[in-house]
Amino acid sequence: MEEFCAKWHDKFLSVLRIMTGLLFLEHGTAKYLGFPHLEKVPNPVSMSGVSGMLELVGGALLVLGLFTRPVAFLLSGNMAVAYFYAHAPRAFFPMLNAGEAAILFCFVFLYIFFAGPGPWSVDAMMRRK
Amino acid sequence: MNATAIESIWSPRVRSVLRMIAGLLVLQYGTAKLLGWPVVKMFENLPWLSLYGVAGMFELVGGALLVLGLFTRPVAFVLSGEMAAAYFIEHLPRGFFPVLNHGDLAVALCFVFLYLACAGGGPWSLDAMMRKKG
Repeated sequence: MEEFCAKWHDKFLSVLRIMTGLLFLEHGTAKYLGFPHLEKVPNPVSMSGVSGMLELVGGALLVLGLFTRPVAFLLSGNMAVAYFYAHAPRAFFPMLNAGEAAILFCFVFLYIFFAGPGPWSVDAMMRRK
Repeated sequence: MNATAIESIWSPRVRSVLRMIAGLLVLQYGTAKLLGWPVVKMFENLPWLSLYGVAGMFELVGGALLVLGLFTRPVAFVLSGEMAAAYFIEHLPRGFFPVLNHGDLAVALCFVFLYLACAGGGPWSLDAMMRKKG
C-alpha cells in the first residue's frame, strides 16, 4: 500500500486537477457556448458572466495542465470572490447558501497552486523536453 | 521563498488545510442530517436508518475524523466511495451534466478524497503528531 501510494500520489494529483478543471470548464461552456443548456444564462458583462470567462479559459488550461500554477492561483481567488460576493450574503452556513462547491474549488486550486500540476500535464511534458 | 520551498514545505501544509476544509464541508452535512444543525428543510425528522441517515453517519464520523486528521487514509477512501455513490444515486438520475444535476460538489469531493487517501493528510494532523511520537 505504501509503495502504491508513493508511486501514484502525484498521478492522482493530476487526476484531481483534470476533474476539477472539467467541472469548471463545464460552467464556462454553459454560460458562453450554451452547452450544456442552462435555463438562465447570465449576462456576459455581469459578475457571473465575467467569472464564466475565467471558468472557460481557466478550466481548459487546467484540464490540459498548461500554466497550471498561475491559472490555479487566479481561479482560487476567483472562487473566493464568488463565495463572498454571491453566496455568503445569503446565509452563514455553506449548506444553506449553496456555496460549498465554491469553497472546495477555492481550496483545491490553492493546493494545486502549491503542489503543481503533477506528471500528467502539458507543463510536465514541456519540462521533460 | 523559492519554488522548491513552496513545493516541498508548503504543499503538504496546504494539503492539510484542504483536508480540514473538505472535512468541515462533509461534517456539516452529517450534523444537518442527524443532529438537525444547521436546520435544513429537506433533512427535518430524518430517520437514522434511511439512505440519507446512513450517509449522514458516514459524514458525521468521517468528516470529524478528517478535520482532526485521524486515520486520514482509510477515512478518505471510504468517503470517496460514499461521494461516488451519492453522485450516482442522487444526482446522475437528474441529468447527465453536473452543472444540471447539481452534482459538482459530490464529484469534486470524491476526487479530493481519493487524492487524500493516496497522499495522506499532511503534517497538520493527528496522524502526523502520533507518528512523530512514535
